[in-house]
Amino acid sequence: MKVIELHKSVTESNDRDAEKLRRELRQQGVLLINVMSSAGSGKTTLLSRIIRDLGKELRIAVLEADIDAQVDAERIAALGARSIQVHTDGMCHMDAGMTRRGLEEMGLAETDLAFLENIGNLICPAEYDTGAGKKLMILSVPEGDDKPLKYPLMFRESDVLVVTKIDALPYFNFDLEKLVERVHHLNPAIRIYPVSAKTGEGMEALEAWLREAVREWKVPAQL
Amino acid sequence: MKYNVIEVKERVIADNDRVAAAQRARLQEKGIYFINLMGSPGAGKTSVLIRTIEALRNRFRIAVMEADVDSAVDAETISRLGVPVIQLHTAGLCHMDADMTARGIEALMEQEQGAPFDILILENIGNLVCPAEFDVGAAKRVMILSVPEGDDKPLKYPLMFEVSDVVLVNKIDTKEIFDFDEERFRENVRMRNPQAEIFPLSARTGEGMEAWFAWLAQEAERGVRK
Repeated sequence: MKVIELHKSVTESNDRDAEKLRRELRQQGVLLINVMSSAGSGKTTLLSRIIRDLGKELRIAVLEADIDAQVDAERIAALGARSIQVHTDGMCHMDAGMTRRGLEEMGLAETDLAFLENIGNLICPAEYDTGAGKKLMILSVPEGDDKPLKYPLMFRESDVLVVTKIDALPYFNFDLEKLVERVHHLNPAIRIYPVSAKTGEGMEALEAWLREAVREWKVPAQL
Repeated sequence: MKYNVIEVKERVIADNDRVAAAQRARLQEKGIYFINLMGSPGAGKTSVLIRTIEALRNRFRIAVMEADVDSAVDAETISRLGVPVIQLHTAGLCHMDADMTARGIEALMEQEQGAPFDILILENIGNLVCPAEFDVGAAKRVMILSVPEGDDKPLKYPLMFEVSDVVLVNKIDTKEIFDFDEERFRENVRMRNPQAEIFPLSARTGEGMEAWFAWLAQEAERGVRK
């Protein structure tokens, strides 16, 4: 009981911090995308591909969150993009305060698009607003088409679902149509992009969406 | 604020360890061999479990506790095999702790009206982070990593590999497709946990499953004799 109450008050004050961070990022014209998925679904590989494809037209930075390692930040830095590694010290998610500290440390001058590569799992990151402008989740083909049934909150919360490793479709019993149906049942507004970061299949559509999202974000907010 | 959270967490974990130790002793006395099965979503926990039940059900009375955030998909799958199963919901929490597990075991025993079993398997919540932190009172912790997740996972989720007695490497039949370097993976695991038993296998093709069945049967027999 106690644990649950604590958790609630933490998420409430987190929501306020997140809203504030999002407003500030909007004023600076930086679109922050919260990238969430299971461990090993291909977050870093997808981001590497996007940096290679869009790195010349958009100024991209990456905030790498991990429990304890820095393999990912090293991979991103090798591509020449600005990146920083944040350690959560065992916690399974990033919250708005941790995200703000990470961004401040990294610096956002001359940035159009920033990715937060969240901790790898489908549960805790879904519960915490980080202040990002968009939430993007990844599901890889080997994880199975039944995941929306088991982790509904993550699918409900996300603006975009990227289905990765579609080059492996022939090897797995994965029904893309059934997945789309299950996801739309939970979240009719979500955009779904099936891609393979390895072969490049489907990347164009996803990257077109990214360009448009960055452009829209830079238009001063109405009201 | 961050400091507060950590203090609470530590207190919770200390309490948890006491409850877990008591649970472990109780089950050992009853001759029930209890396994905590962990892994990412989609690593193949349920598939490996199904194969294991099919292979060992004639020698052991097996019961299963399915833990999930919010669904009953896995319990339904397991119940079709005709073994005792119970579904536990964590209401959004990303792990099972010792107390939740104790309540699950109690409910399972009540459901089965005291019918005895030899092997009890908890299929934990799917992720490599939180379940590693909580002792649930199991005799052994078994984790599954699937080949598509990558051979670098021991570097990124060290605690899970440190606390696991057994690492099952599932979907080994897709090794070539995913450039999974088995030797590098073994090295990464050994760096974290030199004692861990590693079984590469495929629940789909059956490759490597025998070695895992043999290990579990031997362990369970030792537990049952006690």
